[in-house]
Amino acid sequence: MARVFVVDDEPDMVDLLATILKADGFEVDTDTDGRSALARLLAEPPDLVLLDLMMPDLDGMELLKLLRLDPKCTSVPVLVVSARTGHQDQLGTLQLGANAYICKPFSPRELVRQVRQLLAAHQGDTCA
Amino acid sequence: MSLVFSALVLVVFRHRSVRRNMEQSARTYASLVSKPLESLAGFLGSSGRGILDQQVAALRELNQDVSRLEIVDVRGDVVLRAESGVVNVYGHGTDPPTITDNEVLRAISMLESTAVRVTELDGTHVYRVVAPVVQQWGGHMYSLVSTFSYERVNRQFRSSLWLSALIIAVGLALTHRVSVTLAGGITREVDRLREGVQRIQEGDLDERVSVNSRDEIEELAEAFNAMAAELQSTIHRLREANRELETLDQTKADLVANVSHELKTPLTALRGYLELMTDGGLGEIPDEALRAVMVCRKNVQRLSLRVEELVQLSHLERFTSLDATREEVALRPLLEGIADTFRPRLEEHGIDLALRLDRGLPVLESNGEQIERVFLNIMDNAVKFTPEGGSVLIVAEVHAHDGRDGVRVTVRDSGVGIPSAALVRIFDRFHQVDPSSRRRFGGMGLGLSLVRSIVEAHRGAVWAESEEGIGSTFFVWLPIADRTHRSPTGARPSVRLDAARADRHAVEEG
Repeated sequence: MARVFVVDDEPDMVDLLATILKADGFEVDTDTDGRSALARLLAEPPDLVLLDLMMPDLDGMELLKLLRLDPKCTSVPVLVVSARTGHQDQLGTLQLGANAYICKPFSPRELVRQVRQLLAAHQGDTCA
Repeated sequence: MSLVFSALVLVVFRHRSVRRNMEQSARTYASLVSKPLESLAGFLGSSGRGILDQQVAALRELNQDVSRLEIVDVRGDVVLRAESGVVNVYGHGTDPPTITDNEVLRAISMLESTAVRVTELDGTHVYRVVAPVVQQWGGHMYSLVSTFSYERVNRQFRSSLWLSALIIAVGLALTHRVSVTLAGGITREVDRLREGVQRIQEGDLDERVSVNSRDEIEELAEAFNAMAAELQSTIHRLREANRELETLDQTKADLVANVSHELKTPLTALRGYLELMTDGGLGEIPDEALRAVMVCRKNVQRLSLRVEELVQLSHLERFTSLDATREEVALRPLLEGIADTFRPRLEEHGIDLALRLDRGLPVLESNGEQIERVFLNIMDNAVKFTPEGGSVLIVAEVHAHDGRDGVRVTVRDSGVGIPSAALVRIFDRFHQVDPSSRRRFGGMGLGLSLVRSIVEAHRGAVWAESEEGIGSTFFVWLPIADRTHRSPTGARPSVRLDAARADRHAVEEG
């Protein structure tokens, strides 16, 4: 059972993401604060992170940068969820080490497809 | 020149008047001296020599110009000659000197008074005055012949000439110096003014010209300074106004970005839950409720499109009003990324997507975000108007257009097509082929106008071909800048993008 960690400052979004993923059989952890989320991620790295970009205090970009600095978390797949649709925003997060990018508003099916693809690729990597 | 001439004329006239004066006083002198000589002639005998000499010497002192005094008898023989302080008396038995001038001789023989200018043997000029000396005893008649030298007058003339020459020379030199100084002053002030104008031209509006020449140039400089000050305050006002506009513009752009974000997040929650409900992810829902949820879902979809258009509208204004930054953009990964973005939606509608990208696609000097927006909008259009079971084909190839090298991207769909009458207007802002299509397909018709604005800003071309019921083909042609490389590996950002995409592909394939 893959464990997905959802970070988003919007409780409704967290709730939706968790509902979608749980309905598809994933184990889900959530956090609405960037700093506490980072601490928990570093303490116990999940199989995949769903990360919102625009958050108060510690935003998604910063969190991603700090996460990638820890050896335990360098290869954890990160799927960025954002309202920004620009090429530059996507390129920026991919350069910082995100594995994929999904724009709001997305359909639950698209989200699940992307999560599954990332997990499958990561497992493929770790097996090889 | 006229100054020198008039100075010369003055000197000559002065000389002539001095000479006339000298001659006048010479004649007066002669007539005065002849009287005492009448009585002195008695001393011509050797016994009175001493007194005679003294008297003659004293008489000579009375006129500075007299060079010789002679007492001549009526035949022209000199009886007495006083010259250079020496008095000679020629008595009987001696061979006396004689007067040779005809006019003087004639006056002597007639015992008349006369005055003549005579040229001496040595070439010098003298003034000779004859005055009769009537001896009252001894029955002899004599004449006094006084000879005057022009030496003094000429010396005066020469020194006058030199003085005039000197004055003229000094005058000319002074005039020259003064005019040079004056002209130099003018040139300096004009130079200062010119430099000031130049500095203002170069944008230094604090520049003021300081001229204290108390003339027209100073007035000009003051007028110039006033103009510069006016210019400065006008420019200041314009800058202030421009800054306010820029701030407003930025505020507006920020507002649009924030609003779209604020709208997108709740829309995501709505759309997510509604889709979960209709897809059965939240358990069984009664038919009536499901119908209502479907209506909600459809309206959320429409609302999402409006929000996306709002974002596009802000992009439209931003991209067309400002020259956006250029970077090197690799077309292949960009188009592959767009295909990836649309794949789920296409699969959902059972639409087949094919990509045919040339191997040697060059890197474009363009704004990646804008170029991506172009293809996103064209693809969105293609997907929107293609019915289930249709197909979309994306082709990218190196292609010359109007004699310029470039890349042509073709997006062909098997959609409803566009009537030929409407084809020319589809890139116009707020245009839609059929007003009812707005209801059917959503959108305000901004997508394609944004495409045209961006492509034209990149000096490219966009056009479309269509056949109703068969499908439409959109062509986007973008030029290759001179600096663009043929190899995408030459461009750093594109390499990174390539790598990022490659990761993703590895993910997808694995």
